[in-house]
Amino acid sequence: MNLDSLKKKISDLASNAKTEFGSANDKLEVDNIYRSYLGKKGEVNILLKSLGSLPQEKRKEAGKLLNNLKSDLEKTYALTNSLLNDKANLSRLEKDKLDISLPGFSSRKGSIHPVTRTIRDVCDFFEQMGFDVEAGPEAEIDYYNFEALNVPEDHPAKDMHDTFYLNNEGLLRTHTSPVQIRTMEKSEAPHRIICPGKVYRKDSDLTHTPMFHQIEGLVVEEGASFAQLKGLLNDFLTDFFGEEVELRFRPSYFPFTEPSAEVDIRWKKNWLEVLGCGMVHPNVLKNVGVDTKKYSGFAFGLGVERMAMLKYDIPDLRAFFENDIRFLDQF
Amino acid sequence: MQFSKNWLKDFIDIDLSTETICSQLTMAGLEVDGYEDVTSKITGKDSIIKLDITPNRGDCFSILGVARELSVINNLKLSLPNISSIDGSFREEMKVKACPEGPSYFGRTIRDISVNSKTLPLIAERLKFSDQKLIDPVVDITNYILLELGQPLHAFDRDKLRGNITVRTAFNEEKIKLLDDQELVLDDSCLVISDQESAVAFAGIMGGKESAVSASTNSIFLESAFFKPSAIRGKARRYGFQTDASLRFERGVDYKIQEIAIDRASILLRDTVGGRFSEITSSTLKNQLPKQKKITLDLGRSNDLLGTKISKQVALRYFKGLGFAPESLKKSSICAISPSWRYDLTIEADLVEELARLEGYDSLPQLSLSPVYKKIKLNSQSHLSDLLSAKGFNEIISYSFISREDHDLFGEGVAALEVENPISQNMSVMRTNLVSGLVSTFLHNLNHGQDTQRLFEIGNTFFLKNTREVYEKNTLAGLMNGKVNEDNWKEKSKDISFYDLKGVVQDLLREFKGPFIFENCKIDFLHPGMSSLIKINNKIIGFMGSLQPAYLDRLGLSKDIYIFSIELNGLQKNTSSSYKEFSKFPSSSRDLSFLLNKSIASSSIENVIESAAGKFFKDIEIFDVYEGKGIEEEKKSIAVSVSWQSTKQTLKDSDIDSAVERIVNSMKKELGGELRV
Repeated sequence: MNLDSLKKKISDLASNAKTEFGSANDKLEVDNIYRSYLGKKGEVNILLKSLGSLPQEKRKEAGKLLNNLKSDLEKTYALTNSLLNDKANLSRLEKDKLDISLPGFSSRKGSIHPVTRTIRDVCDFFEQMGFDVEAGPEAEIDYYNFEALNVPEDHPAKDMHDTFYLNNEGLLRTHTSPVQIRTMEKSEAPHRIICPGKVYRKDSDLTHTPMFHQIEGLVVEEGASFAQLKGLLNDFLTDFFGEEVELRFRPSYFPFTEPSAEVDIRWKKNWLEVLGCGMVHPNVLKNVGVDTKKYSGFAFGLGVERMAMLKYDIPDLRAFFENDIRFLDQF
Repeated sequence: MQFSKNWLKDFIDIDLSTETICSQLTMAGLEVDGYEDVTSKITGKDSIIKLDITPNRGDCFSILGVARELSVINNLKLSLPNISSIDGSFREEMKVKACPEGPSYFGRTIRDISVNSKTLPLIAERLKFSDQKLIDPVVDITNYILLELGQPLHAFDRDKLRGNITVRTAFNEEKIKLLDDQELVLDDSCLVISDQESAVAFAGIMGGKESAVSASTNSIFLESAFFKPSAIRGKARRYGFQTDASLRFERGVDYKIQEIAIDRASILLRDTVGGRFSEITSSTLKNQLPKQKKITLDLGRSNDLLGTKISKQVALRYFKGLGFAPESLKKSSICAISPSWRYDLTIEADLVEELARLEGYDSLPQLSLSPVYKKIKLNSQSHLSDLLSAKGFNEIISYSFISREDHDLFGEGVAALEVENPISQNMSVMRTNLVSGLVSTFLHNLNHGQDTQRLFEIGNTFFLKNTREVYEKNTLAGLMNGKVNEDNWKEKSKDISFYDLKGVVQDLLREFKGPFIFENCKIDFLHPGMSSLIKINNKIIGFMGSLQPAYLDRLGLSKDIYIFSIELNGLQKNTSSSYKEFSKFPSSSRDLSFLLNKSIASSSIENVIESAAGKFFKDIEIFDVYEGKGIEEEKKSIAVSVSWQSTKQTLKDSDIDSAVERIVNSMKKELGGELRV
């Protein structure tokens, strides 16, 4: 073989290979073509091996030509591959057309009970004001539920609380106020606490359930005043309802506060009672050993279900304890 | 209490709209429930005002009391209707005797009353507006005085009384038949009016049947007495009733009004039924009457507390109007005396409230409370709720009291705290776990077409120890059934299994410090082969499992439901510890499959492998469990993937090989497990 015939071979090979690559349809074919030219036993190698038959002085040039051929084919190979890829991608883009309006595979939706949600909302506000969240037992004794709160035995104020009595001589707490006493007993003033929880009263009709939730707040500090109580509750109600609400304070009676007040909010033209509050009665502070010369305090309590009914526009109190999933799923 | 607005005009010259009056009363602490405009045949335009009176304001259970409030609010003069005394024309032989619990007693006899007389139209109308039934002229007048002055009166048939009248405590087991025919058995905490034979009235509450005024009554004995609130409180309630008289006496009646009331009633009786009036006979134990309290108010401190600037002059005017006979002391102090009709005034704070309510709560200033910085504790309870909610669970809240039947079914045989006076038998036992609430909620929702449910509740459970002591546990429990996921248009979901339940439980427990141990359990309502206890430090803190087939039958269910319960009290939050650097070197793993007896728990396999795997052991994962075809009856095949990793080097194959060899040997030796090749 001489150099010219080698040159001819190289150019034939190059053009054949390019034609073959050009007509290949998939990666497998391309790889086969690649192997037939550039593989161990491929055409290029066969030519390389035949270099020995060339005269010594031509070998260098021939080698260079073959190397050029090799890199030329490698490039063609790479180009072919990338063209094929592009083509494949294009056809995927054309083929893969989903109905994106079909529903996605989402998982079940759970929910947090509206009572829990309301408790969280209320506690969040007060926690940011520096109140600690406290809890106490639901099965109480008379002392914490009544006596320490300035409600003596047989006092008509007990009529306001229809009490469930237990077979251990205890009772189910009728309000969250016992937590005030327990907290003030176990730690020193000043206090800022908020106590959510279940309470129980022997009452069951359209507007009462024998169990419901209350949130009690207590502030005992130097200089705690009625003006602060008014300001705090105003800020709280605005925060809770997310808008300025019209409210009024009017005198009321709770044995454990003096002065006592009831807070009404203007709701769809009517006044609606939402909170009870007042300055902590000196007897209550004395019962837990708070120095009334130094400290004064105020307390407030609200019904969680009532607040949730207003906030979420729930018409029936009993829905809270029926736990119908169609109700729960809305929260 | 409800009453005619025009009645107030007997006491004060008030000319305000009903709406204004109602708003004034509400804002002064006498909450108006509502009012209704009516036309009086006698006084013309009128309104019926309904008051909701708090227990501290017994003095406002009368027209006089309400008028007094309005007189102070509007700065009007309060005057009593013309009350003159009728001199008696004869002396009553019968003696009356008060006692410490009933320290003031006035009475008089009226003979030869006219039986055919009629109640005066104005009285009849006012009683009707106050929702009082008309009975007969005598009783109507006593009711009228009760409403007008707040003093309950009682009229006996004079001829039915034997011997002298005493106020005394009842004997134990003393019987009395009351006006309304109920027969009571009294004890020595009750107060009665007695003649020489027996009790003739349940003092301050209701008269006796035998001495009652009837159509044939010719002579009456009119009683106007004062009984101490403590002697009347809770007595009627104990027998399950309440009367207009007991309501007033237990809140406190003006202890100086008895004579005025009997005079006022006498005049009305004379004008209605006529008759001959005896002299008034009375008995009063002066030192047993309530004491008027002298209270000193520091107006400066009061203004601080309220944020007000009430002047001494204004305060004195308020107190004078309320009948507190105030006296100006040095500096900013005022001394006031609680009047005989007010039982709610004992300390300075009580006077502060009087100032506040007359000033108007709404006009008191308002100050913002400044926030105090405190570290907010992360509440693990809401974290758990959020986690479960994200897993598709609906939070429920069920009643803490359940039925005896449910306690027997689900109460695990634990002694329960019971409600002595439940609202119904279905709410008589305090729950010892949350299962019955979950199950009944599940059934309710199943009946409304919810085939797949995930429910949870966080609430207290109640335990009785030594019959007295109660302890409460904060418990989290859940229920799940149905499919793993919702079916969709592409595929149908599988039914859940015990392991879906366990997965949820493990995800929850990850929030707390472990390690948690799962052990087979025997709980009546759970399937023994498909349930587990949850333990930490050898203490049981919960359970999980599928409901016993017999229970499913009982509830009419054909498919499994799964329940878990975890006590939250003793658990410690898994607070994030410091960061651990992960290895830069690759980990190596080997899959191994063993043939073992079915009864061997996978946890013991994991334990054996972990302890044999050497110091580079990283993790073990069970990826296949197989029983059945191709394997002996009592055997199972379990396939695990064990991985190793070093923090200092890439592990060599030889390291792994020797670890695998140790594992294979240990499995054989300790569990009889054969490596499957």
